[in-house]
Amino acid sequence: MPPFDTLNQAWMVWDGPAPAPEEAVLEYTRELEKFLAEIERRAFRMAQVALRDPDDALDVVQDAMLKLARKYASRPSAEWRPLFYRILENGIRDLQRRRTVRKRFMTWLPGPKEDPESEAQDPLDNVADAAPAIPEALMQGQAMQQLEVSLRALPARQREAFMLRNFEGLDVAETASAMGCSEGSVKTHYSRAVHTLREQLGEVW
Amino acid sequence: MNEQPRDSFEARAQALFHDSVEGVDYATRARLTQARNAAIEAVSASRRRPWFFRIGVLTPAAGVTAAAILGVFLWLGSPLGQHAVTVADGQSNFEDLELVAAADEGSGDAMDMLQDDIEFYDWADKSANPGPAA
Repeated sequence: MPPFDTLNQAWMVWDGPAPAPEEAVLEYTRELEKFLAEIERRAFRMAQVALRDPDDALDVVQDAMLKLARKYASRPSAEWRPLFYRILENGIRDLQRRRTVRKRFMTWLPGPKEDPESEAQDPLDNVADAAPAIPEALMQGQAMQQLEVSLRALPARQREAFMLRNFEGLDVAETASAMGCSEGSVKTHYSRAVHTLREQLGEVW
Repeated sequence: MNEQPRDSFEARAQALFHDSVEGVDYATRARLTQARNAAIEAVSASRRRPWFFRIGVLTPAAGVTAAAILGVFLWLGSPLGQHAVTVADGQSNFEDLELVAAADEGSGDAMDMLQDDIEFYDWADKSANPGPAA
């Protein structure tokens, strides 16, 4: 056997390079960053569909990212997607509950009442766009708006099932894991959601 | 994962959603990137902390132990604690008790001495004033 110049060379001959824990951490950190970069915009849009307000949607997505990174970063990467969406859906539900409580509380206080329709409107929506609108894009934008309105009108569980299955493309098992329910419930919620949406949007689409 | 929609309605809904994702404005994209970086930084920060802070169960236990040690120090430093030590020592108190007891014993001797003096005064009185001879 040839003499070894360094201890590291001896390791390489004996059993390959010794695994460094820091390298493993760097590896899953890089993987986590890639995963978050891949889903962040979809997660934001899903949160925005549910909450309407983009700032609230950003807050919820940021919280979900932080919680996933702090608590579940060391878990296998295959588990990240359902875990992330479970955290996200919990955050959305919490925010909606807080809004409901705040609304009930506000009705007892004197002062101008909030108009739920005006809350959703952004003043910038009324500003005319200088660039000529592309008809196809405009139609698609309108169709998406109609879909969003119909989705908000659905019961929360049906909306979750539809968005996770259709928008995010999770399978039944992953959706069940993200929603914290059985696979049978996912199928039922999804089927009802599609049926209702088709009834509402079928003619327009 | 990433199942394909089953009919045209579902396919259209999915396509519209993906188009809207592509249309997310740059300001929002920048904020999402910041959020992602903060999350990644949180992973690194948790790695930099000492191991005993990373173990969630041990952190409260360390707090309870520190509070118990502080409590013992406060107990020993308080006047009540000092009193307890003095009583436990007890040497000076017993000495005091002996002195008091000794003082009581001394007062007994004084009575005896007084009794002796009375006999002396009686003898001296008789010696100085002898009575008629019998």
